Amino acid sequence: MGWSGASLTVAGCGFTSIESGVETVESYVQPQDFVVPGIGIYYATTCTQCGGGCGMHGRVREGRVLKMEGNPETPNRGRLCGLGQALVQHHYNPDRLKEPLLRQGGTLQPTTWNNAMALLAEKTKNAGDKFALLTGPLSGHLKVLAQNYVESLGSRNHFIYDPLATKVNRSVSERMYGVAMPCYHIDQAQLVVSFGADFLDTWVSPVHFSSQYADFRKANDSKARGVLVQIEPKMTVTGANADRWIPVRPGTEGALALGLANALLQDPAYAKNVPASVAASVRGYDKTHVGQITGINSEVFDRLLALLRERTPSLVLSGPSAEGHVHGAQNAAAIMLLNFVLGNVGKTITAPARVPFPQMAPADGDTVALNAFNDGLMHGRFETVFMHDVNPVYTAPAFLQLKDNLKKAGFKVLFTHYRDETAEESDLVLPLDSALEDWGTHIAAYQPEGVTITLQQPLMERLYPDGTRSFGGLLLELLKQHRPEEYKQWPDYYSYLQSALTKNKSAFKDPAADDGLFWYQTLSHGVLNVAAPQEQHLSATPGIVNVNLPAASAVDQEFPFQLVPSVRSGFRDGRHANLPWMQETADTMTTIVWDSWVEIHPKTAERLGIREGDILEIASKTGSVKTQAYLFPGLDPDTVAVPLGQGHEAMGRYAKGVGVNPFKLLAPSFENATGELAYYATRVKISKTGDRVTVVKDEGWRPGVLSTQQGRKIVATMAADKVKLFREE
Amino acid sequence: MSITYMLRDWTHYRSTHPSADINKDHPEGYKWAMAIDLDACTGCNACVVACYAENNLPVVGKEKFAHGFAMHWMRIERYWNDEDIETPQHGAQFMPMLCQQCEAAPCETVCPVGATNHTPDGLNSQVYNRCIGSRYCSVNCPYKVRYFNFYNYPEQEHAWPDPLPMQLNPDLTVRTKGVMEKCTFCVQRLYEAKSKARTDGRLVKDGEVTTACAQSCPTGAITFGNLLDPYSKVAKMWRQQRMDLYKDVQDKDRDGNPENIRGYRVLEELRAYPSIIYLERVRDAQA
Amino acid sequence: MTRFSRIVNGPFFARCCVAGLAFFAWSALGISSAVAGDKVEQPIEFPHDIHAGKMGINCMYCHTYARRSMVSGIPPLQKCIGCHQNIPSVRDHPRIQKLFEYWEKKEPIPFKKVHDLPEFVRFNHERHIQRFYFWQKRPVQEVCGFCHGDVKTFTVAEKVKPLTMGWCISCHQKDHLINATGSETGHGPHDCWDCHK
Repeated sequence: MGWSGASLTVAGCGFTSIESGVETVESYVQPQDFVVPGIGIYYATTCTQCGGGCGMHGRVREGRVLKMEGNPETPNRGRLCGLGQALVQHHYNPDRLKEPLLRQGGTLQPTTWNNAMALLAEKTKNAGDKFALLTGPLSGHLKVLAQNYVESLGSRNHFIYDPLATKVNRSVSERMYGVAMPCYHIDQAQLVVSFGADFLDTWVSPVHFSSQYADFRKANDSKARGVLVQIEPKMTVTGANADRWIPVRPGTEGALALGLANALLQDPAYAKNVPASVAASVRGYDKTHVGQITGINSEVFDRLLALLRERTPSLVLSGPSAEGHVHGAQNAAAIMLLNFVLGNVGKTITAPARVPFPQMAPADGDTVALNAFNDGLMHGRFETVFMHDVNPVYTAPAFLQLKDNLKKAGFKVLFTHYRDETAEESDLVLPLDSALEDWGTHIAAYQPEGVTITLQQPLMERLYPDGTRSFGGLLLELLKQHRPEEYKQWPDYYSYLQSALTKNKSAFKDPAADDGLFWYQTLSHGVLNVAAPQEQHLSATPGIVNVNLPAASAVDQEFPFQLVPSVRSGFRDGRHANLPWMQETADTMTTIVWDSWVEIHPKTAERLGIREGDILEIASKTGSVKTQAYLFPGLDPDTVAVPLGQGHEAMGRYAKGVGVNPFKLLAPSFENATGELAYYATRVKISKTGDRVTVVKDEGWRPGVLSTQQGRKIVATMAADKVKLFREE
Repeated sequence: MSITYMLRDWTHYRSTHPSADINKDHPEGYKWAMAIDLDACTGCNACVVACYAENNLPVVGKEKFAHGFAMHWMRIERYWNDEDIETPQHGAQFMPMLCQQCEAAPCETVCPVGATNHTPDGLNSQVYNRCIGSRYCSVNCPYKVRYFNFYNYPEQEHAWPDPLPMQLNPDLTVRTKGVMEKCTFCVQRLYEAKSKARTDGRLVKDGEVTTACAQSCPTGAITFGNLLDPYSKVAKMWRQQRMDLYKDVQDKDRDGNPENIRGYRVLEELRAYPSIIYLERVRDAQA
Repeated sequence: MTRFSRIVNGPFFARCCVAGLAFFAWSALGISSAVAGDKVEQPIEFPHDIHAGKMGINCMYCHTYARRSMVSGIPPLQKCIGCHQNIPSVRDHPRIQKLFEYWEKKEPIPFKKVHDLPEFVRFNHERHIQRFYFWQKRPVQEVCGFCHGDVKTFTVAEKVKPLTMGWCISCHQKDHLINATGSETGHGPHDCWDCHK
């Protein structure tokens, strides 16, 4: 329907009187019978803002999508996080690309789609292994088409890259439990001990876990209120909600886990849960030794042990801060081992159902892919490079020199929505439909209830119908260039998806007999549940029984602090920095807006003579950033934290020049077992630049004074054993 | 004519408030109220973004934010505990703060032009076209949940460069310079639901309408509904928590809350009679 | 007294001030911009007199959204074609020709809004139609005509009522039956927020 009504709602000084014959009424030509002007229509689609894959309902008024809500029929149970709601700002972003750009004479110039498609055909002719495709995580039919395309070119170079990959966790889970991503039943646990897994805000499927967390916290006649313990070097949002938050020396989480295992295994009730060799292998981790390594004192250790013994069933989670070290896999194994010792496996940790369509099953991505891609570029192996859903020039650590290596590829094509850092290095930049204009199918990496495929459908007509195209549609066109006979039957991506799903409708629960009705119902509900998915089972014994933690190495005195590159839910890997709502919404932990910062423990700041607002230079061996200091008590005192996601040098008016990018600082440290980039293994030094700013934040009234309630009853707290229970109705 | 009626209804309401009969004060059968469980609130800010999306809130940018001109009708306040400020071993404390829709709102009495009144369904109204921008109401608000448009945000560069105006909610005014605004309990949604229900000849059923913040909250910490509907979730919660809208000191608190019931209202002693109850955050003593 | 102070304190000055203020207030009311009875130029001079008058078609046959939405809506082009594709006798009249031209192009007719209230006023058609037409069972032309005038005598719509807030309130303050069957009366809502959200 286009632009009807929008201009009428922004009131300037002119619209304050009763008028007649001035404005035009936009009316319909041939509306569907459920379209009533003034009443919103809701359509189902899938959120693409993170890997959680929540289902969404979009409210559409007069042909414009206005607001996103959660879909009650998907695992997010009708709820939606702030980032998901901000998807409309990607769709309506003023800096969206509206036409293809081709680099001519050194600068990007507008070109036509015909020209672009011809170039794509030309540059991929007889490509073989000289072609490389770098994408983000993929699932559903987009994955099928992408993989088929790479294969059709005779190439083996499909790199699936996720800067925030949970690869270490998945790899160790696979070995320990037998599945890469088990189901975690937080709502059924009486105790959750999370080693840095920020499941309420940024880890795996935050909205779904938050919904479970609500049940976890409710006490009634049949169950007590669940207790949350969070162990990490920097307080995350989940940590802020913990009954007990334990700061730990970065990297020593595995030692703590083994120490707890050792203490528990003295008791035959736990020892029978694991092979005898486990008890033998952890014998060296007595409380004193663990205390020396981790910095955790005896009292804290004993309290945690008591909780583990008393609150059953429990659930122990391993998160990125434990896994982001050279020995990250060992840490993860130690942590996951606790679940076996405690008898949680099969109770609060179960196996998901098997995804029946291997071609469509989620391919999660890792940072090894970036390394391999960079390696190929460095050695000049790639003539033609396609990139989609990634911004490697921004997210790659400086030591990889990816920007320079990219120059060695002959022809670089970026399929994107914005002129970001990678676009500025590309030869051909192709604008895509926004997520709210596109079709798709998605299978989320985390499947808590059976196996679901969520649908993505356009919520309105394209904003730039002559400019942007669907990536799925483009892949189909590209496939037709090389395999015309196989793909010509589908005029567009929509018909491809419709026929693919309808042909296989018997795989889903209760499909309608009539194909048309099946398709209508599928789009209406936005989700397909696989009928009778194959059950899997977790291994009864841990796959790794001997955890090898390295001895503590000498601390490099020149770089006395450990850097935590923290993830903010509104920014993730930086792709959402151009959303004004995300910039303007106060960071949960610091309430800072529109900038970066470095979190320093107040005691450390006092020691170094640092005040809030001082501009500090944070330098690692391979890079440095300058940003404002913020006093934050939720830290291990020898750790500093700088949030990821800011520091863009391109990508539009809301992102460019805002804050700093700590991706650049990351050390060339790789996790031993998986080869993954060890994000939490970077050492830094701090120096004052002498400059100072006022930190722009929502809290408090004086810089440097930590906000407390000053004795007032604003947020009141009650001890759990005193709370009056109510049976949930 | 209308100001006469408005003032007559409103002064009658204020002078007899709190009355003995909540139903008499709200003759239409609606009294909107909220309950926020602080033990479920994780501080994630989904509600804050939902409010921006639903209510045409302007993004003011860094400089204006620094000057205190942020327009977030709902904000999450984060506090540290005085006792363990060096190592916050029990986490942080989050308070979602929004207009409390006080029954005896301190802001209503001081508006020189009557731009803020009480509606028959129990909301504190803010009428933009009446407001002349004296800002006395925000001075009086103890919760500091009133936000003034110091700039003409539709014309500021940050707020709505094309095509962002297409996202604006047409059911709600886009405010220009010089008017005060605040949380309305998504009155545009309430109005639509009440109208639909009225056409069907009934009252709005519990769950049929909710505010944007309550709808988005991933943990369901916010419960919204009609306090006069005895079967609504919010009415049940108020009853369970022994909270009486019309008392400035609750009966349970007079006795020192021996049963440790979690419900309370913020700054209740100021006798504004807010329509939002909070349930105390809980922390396990053994942890 | 100075000449200045004599002027300022004199009766003529006072009258000028009052007149000036009154003029300011009157123009602020906004009535001046739309004089009653001005016929708005429309792309097709739609004859309400034939449809609502001669044919006696219920207003809501075309303005179908009035009973279920805040806006009554200009009917979709499909509604006009629905009848006119089957009326060969007028098929080649000039206005009908124009109508079908729009239909061929699948383009909506850009009618100008006649009853255009300011941006900050949200009038709800549904509530008024429900009360006066469905509950009180008044004839439809009386119900719609109260605000829109005697439409069956117009071709295109004309704004013949002031539509000012005072005019709306003048009805809202009258006592009506508050339900369809009883005899209890009350007045319309005075909640500012009903119209000014």
